[in-house]
Amino acid sequence: MIRYFLRDLFAQFRSGRSLFLLSLLGVALGVASVLSIQIINLNALGTFQGSVRAISGEADLSIVGRTPSLSEEIYPEVLSTEGVTVAWPLFRLEVALAEEENVLLDVLGFDLFAPLKLPWKSPPAELSAALGESGWIAVSPGFAGERGWEVGDRFEVFSGSRRVELRVGSLVDFKKAAPLASRKLAVMDIAQAQSLFGNVGAIHQIDLTVEEEPERVAAVLQERLGPSVRVLTSAQRENQATNLLSAFRLNLTALSLISLLVGAFLVFSSTQASLVRRRVGFGLLRSLGATRGQLFGLILAETGFLALLGVALGIPLGYVAAVSYVDQVSATLTNVYLLEEIESLVIPAWLFSLATLVGLSGAFLGAIFPAMDVSRKDTRALLAAFTLNERIGAAAHPLFFGGLMLLAGAGAIYGLSGEGWRPGGFVLALGLVLSIPLVAPLLVQQGARHIRGRGFGFAFGLRGLGQQLQTTPFAIAAVAVAVCMMVGVTVMVGSFRQTLEIMVDSTVRADIYIASKSWTRGRTEATLDPQLVLDLASHPGVRATDRLRQLFVYPLGYLDDHRISLAGVDMGLELSEARFSLLEGESQQAFREVREEGAVIISEPLSRKFGLVTGDRLALHTLGGEVEFPISAVYYDFSTEGGSAFMDLSTMEEHFGPGEVSNLALYLDPGIDTERAVDELMTRFSDRPLEIRSNRLLREEVFSIFDQTFAVTQLLQAMSLLIAVCGITLTLLVMARERVSELALYRALGAERRQIFRTYLGKGMGMAAYGLGLGGAGGVILAFILIFIINRTYFGWTIALHWPWASLAIEAAVILIASAVASIYPAWRAGRTPATELRREDI
Amino acid sequence: MRAFLSFLLLLVTATLLFASDWKFAEPDYPWSFPRDHWSHREYRTEWWYFTGHLVTTSEPTRRFGYQFTLFRIGLLTERPPFDSNWATDSLIMGHAAVTDTDQEEHRFSELLYRAVPLLGEFRGFPDPLVAWVRGPVGSADRWTLRWNGRSFDFTMADDTKGFALDLRTEPTKPLVLQGPNGLSRKGSELGAASLYYSFTRLATEGTLHLDGETLEVRGESWMDKEFSSSQLTESQVGWDWFSLQLTDGRELMLYVLRRKDGVSDFRHATLVSREGEARYLAPEEWSVRALDSWESEDTGAGYPSHWSIEVSGEVRGEALVLDVKPVVPNQENRSVFPGGVYYWEGGVTILGPAGEDLGQGYVELTGYGEDNKPPF
Repeated sequence: MIRYFLRDLFAQFRSGRSLFLLSLLGVALGVASVLSIQIINLNALGTFQGSVRAISGEADLSIVGRTPSLSEEIYPEVLSTEGVTVAWPLFRLEVALAEEENVLLDVLGFDLFAPLKLPWKSPPAELSAALGESGWIAVSPGFAGERGWEVGDRFEVFSGSRRVELRVGSLVDFKKAAPLASRKLAVMDIAQAQSLFGNVGAIHQIDLTVEEEPERVAAVLQERLGPSVRVLTSAQRENQATNLLSAFRLNLTALSLISLLVGAFLVFSSTQASLVRRRVGFGLLRSLGATRGQLFGLILAETGFLALLGVALGIPLGYVAAVSYVDQVSATLTNVYLLEEIESLVIPAWLFSLATLVGLSGAFLGAIFPAMDVSRKDTRALLAAFTLNERIGAAAHPLFFGGLMLLAGAGAIYGLSGEGWRPGGFVLALGLVLSIPLVAPLLVQQGARHIRGRGFGFAFGLRGLGQQLQTTPFAIAAVAVAVCMMVGVTVMVGSFRQTLEIMVDSTVRADIYIASKSWTRGRTEATLDPQLVLDLASHPGVRATDRLRQLFVYPLGYLDDHRISLAGVDMGLELSEARFSLLEGESQQAFREVREEGAVIISEPLSRKFGLVTGDRLALHTLGGEVEFPISAVYYDFSTEGGSAFMDLSTMEEHFGPGEVSNLALYLDPGIDTERAVDELMTRFSDRPLEIRSNRLLREEVFSIFDQTFAVTQLLQAMSLLIAVCGITLTLLVMARERVSELALYRALGAERRQIFRTYLGKGMGMAAYGLGLGGAGGVILAFILIFIINRTYFGWTIALHWPWASLAIEAAVILIASAVASIYPAWRAGRTPATELRREDI
Repeated sequence: MRAFLSFLLLLVTATLLFASDWKFAEPDYPWSFPRDHWSHREYRTEWWYFTGHLVTTSEPTRRFGYQFTLFRIGLLTERPPFDSNWATDSLIMGHAAVTDTDQEEHRFSELLYRAVPLLGEFRGFPDPLVAWVRGPVGSADRWTLRWNGRSFDFTMADDTKGFALDLRTEPTKPLVLQGPNGLSRKGSELGAASLYYSFTRLATEGTLHLDGETLEVRGESWMDKEFSSSQLTESQVGWDWFSLQLTDGRELMLYVLRRKDGVSDFRHATLVSREGEARYLAPEEWSVRALDSWESEDTGAGYPSHWSIEVSGEVRGEALVLDVKPVVPNQENRSVFPGGVYYWEGGVTILGPAGEDLGQGYVELTGYGEDNKPPF
C-alpha cells in the first residue's frame, strides 16, 4: 500500500496537474494568510513589549509619573524603602537626527554608576569621557554602521527646537544584553542627558528590584510616594503595553480569524476537490481487494502529504506577506500609538507549529468526511456517478435555521452583556460572519429556483448551482464572507474618512502649522523655545498665533494605567472655538468656562471610556496635588483612541508649572499667499529644526496617515478575496470532474463546447453573484456593527454613516471580473469533455 | 537593561583606571591638620578606615569587632560643567561590618553611590560633616563621618542586615604618619604609593544596634586615612595588612604586598612606641609567617588565618614574637555589587609565646581568590 501511495502521488500529479497545483496553492494560501497576520500581530505587540523589556526587563517594579516626568527628589525615598534591593533612575526622550528626515533616536539617560550586576566582561574602551565630555553617547553598532559612524564621530540631534551635538562615545551592542532592544536605543550618563536636553531635576522613570513580594513593596512605595506617581509591577507594565495596543491588536486578530476561516475553507475545498476527482480510482482499488481501512488510510496519507507540501509553501509565502505588510503596520504604530517601529520580524517556533496545524487540520477536516464516505461505500457506488449532493440539499433548511439561531445567539449575547462588555460587538460581528456559510445553501437553492433561463448556456449553469449543493455553498460562502468583510470595512473606512474630512474642514483653520522635528514622538519634551515662538509670531504677515503645549497625564480615579493627552491652548484667541467641533455642550459657555473658570473640554473617546459628560469633573494630579477640573464640553476627536483634554494655557501653567509650547499655528493677514509664507519661514528659520506645514500640506498628511492606517486592512481584504476567487476555480473544477458523465451526456445530445463553456462561466459568475448578494447584505450589517458598536466601544469615535457607492461598485465589478477570469479555465476544461466519457450506467 | 547598563559601567570603570591627570603621592606632601582629615579631590582614591574591638558596657564579656570605612573613588579631577544634580567627579563607597565574637557571626554592609547632593557628599574643610551618604538600598538612615575637633564620630545603619553603629572616638595617642612624611610606598615603581596616616588608638564609645537590640558599647579603635592615585603596581594583586594594638601600649602596623604567584614583592612595617613615636622598620627587622589557612565556602578563596609575627630589636627592647589568630574564622566581606569584590577583614587576638594575652588587632587580606584584585 505504501508503494502504491508513492507511485500514486506521481500519477496524480501527472494526470491532474492543474487541480493538484491548485489544491496545493489552496493549502499554501490558507496557511500563508493565517501565518502572516499572526506574525504581524505578534510583532506589533512584541515591539512595544520589547522596548519595555529592553529598558526595564530586569526590574521588578517601575515608578513613573502621572505627569510627564518625575522629580528626582523621590529617588532617595525609593532607595530608603524597605524591601528595595537596587533602584536606578532613567531619563528618557526621543530626539530627531538632524541629518536625516524622520529618524528618531531613543535616548536613555542612566546613572552609569548605579551598582548593577555585570553579566560579562569586556575589554576596556575609550569611555573615560562618559561623565565628563559633553555629548558622549553609546549607540548600537548597527545604527552607527548604517550611517558610517565610528567612535569619536560627532552628530547633531534635535529635541524640540533645541539642537544638541553628540559624540559617538562607544559602540555597544545592546541586543546582546537585551535581545529586543531597539537599535535606535542610545545610552548616555544621566547628568549629560539632563543638562544637554534641558530638564534639570527631572527623571522619567525609576526601575527597581526587590527582595521579595513585589506587590507588597509596590503598595508601600505607592503609599510613601503619594498619588503623583504610579508604581507598576512587571505584569502591570506589560499589561500597559498590551492595553495601549488592545484595539489595534483586536482589529488584527479579528481579521486574522476571518483569514483563518477563509483559509480553512480553501484548504477544505482543495482537499475535497482532489478526492472527488479520484473517486473512480478508489472504486478500482476496492474492487482489486483494498480494504476500507486501507482506503481510508491512503486518503488521509495523501491528504497529509498535500497539506505538508502546502504548509511548506505557505510558510515562506506567509513570511513574504508579513514582510510586505510590516511597513504599513509599523507606520500605524508610529503614527497612532507613538511607539517604536517594527525593526525586524521575530517568528517564534510555535508560530510555525500553528501554521502547520492550520494546514493539516484544515486539510484533514476537508478530507475526513469524503474519506469516510468513500471508504464506507461499496465498490459499485464508488464507480457510479457522484450522488452526494442531495444530502446538503436536504440539510439546507436546518443549516439555514442554524445560521439564524447563531445570529440570534450572538445578538442575545451582545444585548444581554450590554455596553459594559467590550467584546460584545465582536461577538455580534463574528456571529454574522459565521452565519453566512450556514444560510448560504438554502438561499442558493431558493434563489436558483427562480432563475428562468432559456436554452443551454449561461442561465442554465446559474440555475444548476442550486442543485449542486455539495460543493457550491462553500465557494459561495467564501466569496460571501470575503464580500461581507469588504463591504463592511469599505463602508466603515469610507464613513470614517468622510467624517474626518468634515471635521478637518471645520477645525484645521490656521494657515500654517509649526512643530519641531522630534515632535512626532517626543511630544512633551519636543518644545519650541520662547524666543523662537516670539520670532515666528512676529513674522511679517502673521495676524495671530495659536500656541499648544502638550503633556501626557494619568487621570486619577479611573483605569489606573490609562494615559491621556492634556493640551493647553490659547482659548482667548478669536479663532480658538473653531478648532473644536463639539459633540456635547454649548460652545459659547463652554469656551468661556475654559477661559475663565479653569474648565477643560474632553474628547469623545475620553468621555466614552471614563463615562464623563459635560458637568462632570476630570481629576488630575498637578503640582499642587489632586485637582478636579470641571468639564465644560465634549468634542469630536479621532486623533487618539486614548483620549485627550484641552485647557487654557494659563490654567495649565497654574497647575502644571511653566513650560514651553510644542506647536504653533499661524493665521496670516488676508491676501497673503500661504505657500509663499511657508517658504519664507523655512528660509528664515532654516537653521532651526522645524516642521513648517501649510494648511493644505497638513490636510494631505492627515489623510495620508489615515490611508496608511487602513492599508493593512485593505491588503487583508484583497487576500481574502483572492482566496475566495481561488475557491470558485476549485469548485468549478470539482464540478467539471464530478459531472463528467453529465457533461458527456450533454455533448452526446449535441451540446457544443462553447455552450458548456458558457454554462460553467454562468456557474462561476453565479457563485460570485450569490456571494455578492449574500455578502453585500451581511456587509451592510457588519458596517453598522463596526461603526456604531465596535468603533464606539473600542475607540470612542462617533462616525457618521456614509455610503461610498463608487468604491462599492468598483469592488463588485472587480469581484465579478475576477470570478469570470477564475471560471475560464474550469469552463474550458468542462467544454473539452468528450462524449465518450458517457458510460452505460449513466444513461 | 541592567545587563547592558552594567556592561557600560564596566567599560567606564575599566577606562577610568587609565586616567592620568590625577596627582600622585609625593614625598614632600605638605601636611596640614586638621584640613587633611577632609577629602583630597585631586587624588583618585581616598579612604577613612576604622576598625576596632568593642565590649558592651553592661556586660563587658560580650565582645564585638567592627569595621567602618568610607571610600572616595575619584572619577574625574573636577566636576563636569553640566547643569544637572547628577554631575559628579566621584563615587562614595561605604563598607561596614560587625563580628559578634561570642556568636561567631559576621555581618557586612556596603553601599555605592555617586557623590551628588541627592545621595551623598564629601564636604570641604572646615565643615564638621566630613562626609555623608545615603544608607544601603532598602535602608532608611544615612552614614555619616564627622570631625569632632580631636578625632571622628561616625554612624552607619543597614536595616536589611540588622545592624547599626553610632560611635564616638577620642585619640589617646597622637596621629602617626605611616612612612617618611606620610608617604607609604607600595612598590618600587614611581607613583606606587599613598599618603597615609593613622590614629592608632582611639577610645571609642557609643551604641551598637543588632537585630533591634540597642547595646551601649565601648572599646578601642584604629583609624587609617589614605589617599593616592595609584597604589598597586601592575603585577601586584593584593595585600595582607595588620594593625595590632599591644597591651604594653605599643602598636604595630605592617603590610605585605603580593604578586599573583603569591610571592611578596614589597612590605612595610611601622612600630609605634608607647609615647607615640613611629619607627619604620627595615625589612630585615621583621617577618610575618602564615601558620594556617581558611577557605571561604562562599567564594572559594583560601586565606591565611593564623600568623607568627616577629620583630627583632632586642637592643632597643622592641623584640616581639606574636601569635596572631582570628577571633572568628569567617570574617569575609563579600560585595554583591558589580565586580563582586571580596576580602577578609577581621578582628584578631594576639598571644605571646607562652600563650599570654599581648593585645588585639585587625587584619585585612585582599586579592585572594580568582580575579579578585582590589580596584584601588
